[in-house]
Amino acid sequence: MEFGWSEELETFRAEVREFLREVDTPALRAELASRMETASLSPERQRVRDALEERGWARMCWPPELGGEGRSQWFQFVLTEEFARAEIPFGAGFGSMVGPAIQRFGTEAQREKYLPGIWSNEITLCLGYSEPNAGTDLAALETLAVRDGDDWLINGQKLWTSAADTASHVWLAARTDPDAPKHRGISTFIVPMDTPGISVRGIMTMGGARTNEVFFEDARVPGDALIGEVNRGWYIIANALDHERVWIGAGGGLRHTFDRLLAHLRERRPELLEDAAVRARLVELELDLDVMEGLVLTNASIVAAGDTPTMEASMSKIWTSDLRYRISSVAMELLGREGALAEESGDCAPLAGELERIYRNSPVQRFGGGTNDVQRDIIARRGLGLPR
Amino acid sequence: MDATLSETQRLLRDSLRDYLRREVPFDRIRELERAGGMDEALWGHLRDAGFLGLPFAERHGGEAGELADAAILLEELTRRACIVPFLETVAAALALERHGDEAIADEIVRGVIGGTVTLAPAPSAADADVPAVAGGALDGEGRFVDYGAEVTHHLVEAVADGEPGLWLVDARGAGVRAEPLQTIARTPQAHVRYAAAPARRAGGAEALQFLRRAGRALCAVQCAAAAQQALDMTVEYTGMRVQFGRPIGSFQAVQHHCADMATQTLAARFLAFRAIWNLDQGRASDREIAKAKALASRAATEVTMQAHILHGGIGYTEEYDLHFFSRRGKERALAWGAAGECLALVAATLDEVRPWR
Repeated sequence: MEFGWSEELETFRAEVREFLREVDTPALRAELASRMETASLSPERQRVRDALEERGWARMCWPPELGGEGRSQWFQFVLTEEFARAEIPFGAGFGSMVGPAIQRFGTEAQREKYLPGIWSNEITLCLGYSEPNAGTDLAALETLAVRDGDDWLINGQKLWTSAADTASHVWLAARTDPDAPKHRGISTFIVPMDTPGISVRGIMTMGGARTNEVFFEDARVPGDALIGEVNRGWYIIANALDHERVWIGAGGGLRHTFDRLLAHLRERRPELLEDAAVRARLVELELDLDVMEGLVLTNASIVAAGDTPTMEASMSKIWTSDLRYRISSVAMELLGREGALAEESGDCAPLAGELERIYRNSPVQRFGGGTNDVQRDIIARRGLGLPR
Repeated sequence: MDATLSETQRLLRDSLRDYLRREVPFDRIRELERAGGMDEALWGHLRDAGFLGLPFAERHGGEAGELADAAILLEELTRRACIVPFLETVAAALALERHGDEAIADEIVRGVIGGTVTLAPAPSAADADVPAVAGGALDGEGRFVDYGAEVTHHLVEAVADGEPGLWLVDARGAGVRAEPLQTIARTPQAHVRYAAAPARRAGGAEALQFLRRAGRALCAVQCAAAAQQALDMTVEYTGMRVQFGRPIGSFQAVQHHCADMATQTLAARFLAFRAIWNLDQGRASDREIAKAKALASRAATEVTMQAHILHGGIGYTEEYDLHFFSRRGKERALAWGAAGECLALVAATLDEVRPWR
């Protein structure tokens, strides 16, 4: 048990901060403000990514045999945290969750084929999980992958496939044995999005980001697109989802939002800070942030020890996503009508419109990545061992 | 940063846990609660096993371990509802060792490790006659003194010449009258009256501050431990109890309560241990400790009471063990600063919030 940051990590954190100050240019901000929430990197974000690669930080925590330095996962944690603090999106798409899955379940050849590209963002990913009839009950998915010689032929439809319009590959869950019990007939594939037979249609959301429907009509992929054993996909998905939840938790950046809220109150609404009722509400948010930090660091400790968190990842996911809603909602309420002002209103918008934006996209954090009530099921069943 | 227990800490925990499981059945706790007083036999074991010396310096005969090690033991003692002045003795002796009079610290810490000295901090209370010392004699009262009638010495928060500090008083000596109080915890507590009690000055403002911080942070660990035990009992019971033809723990309504209880408990424990660790390193703030205690106090109250709701009738009976944790949990939630007091401190110091990391 040790709750301090080693000098090595503190030094690294300072270096990352310095790095982020350097790459944080008006051009990058302008690009981020244009809401290019896509998988492939827009030019300025690619520039950040290249600079990251140049520093040797993009794959520092990966094992040496995969081109990494085998550094402790705490370095990745600090890196992610600092990006969140600087409000610069880290990487893009779902490489951080698919990468570890390929590392763990792929063959040697697949690791060599995909991992370097996932690092450098030459391979960008979208997640082909949800379908019209398979949302929270993901295992009910119907998209079919059928053997055809050495190849697989894919037919079906995916929904809520964010970044499908820009990703180079889809990480796909498809049914490979329609006769098996539903959890035992699913396999995972990595499929190039330019495969003939794949088409994409966009859907706009209230959070401002675009998501998609993806259609597969006799899309043909080679045999080595299958990652892991056939019909063992559910296990791989569950493992990868645990990774996703960890990073959803870590990437929140909510503590920084709270700091900005306090700064805004001090500078522009000091009368509110005099109010005991307002202070009491702020204290509750601060406690909530401490809880978040406790959960996130618990997860990171487990990851750093080489294990995969399950219950803890779900706890962190629930808490962080609920807190996104709570902080933005309470802050907007404390500010009154000022709280509703969006970025487009210019200087008079509090926190440059961040509160309004967080509030607007908070629902997807809470129901996405496995809805929070399903996370509670996971905590109870997989974590605490309660019966089904 | 590493929130997991070290191998040594795991062994330490398991060693005490196994002993308590074997030697301290809950019926023994029932007897002790009825008879009053502390568990002398258990204290003897803690001494013999070397558990009383863990956080103290080698120059005083200690093991030079971490305060977190002692907190891990405290967690186990709390999860077995043990009745021993462990928190009280460790917090008080450590305050003396770290910030008090060296001669007194040497005598007291060696006594603690040897099992001849037990300590009860007697903090001042706003609504009581704050003890004052003049010419080596202490007058005043100590309210809510845990183990006040059981320990060998009191470490009394008192004022001399307008300066606050800590004074050591022989609990069994002249001028000390401890009237037992009964609380919801059914653990020993006393209202102590000092009348010209001989007192030695053992520490100044720094020692006093450390004592308050250590007491509060360790009490937060006790709160989290009560919540954890109640949660574990609930998971076990609802996993077995069959109604409507299935274990009630298979119902989502029950599962979601358990999931939320587990989240609240895990976070409370993390923050309590982090406060302990930072305190040990000399870098805890009153603010951090107050936040940890506020959250732990809530967990001790809310998780243990939700455990009752999920247990139903069986958990409400005297013969079932859950009430140890709901009663004790609530008492610990109030001790060393209730949530309200802690949150008032946090709210008053909101200007101290510094940008993250």
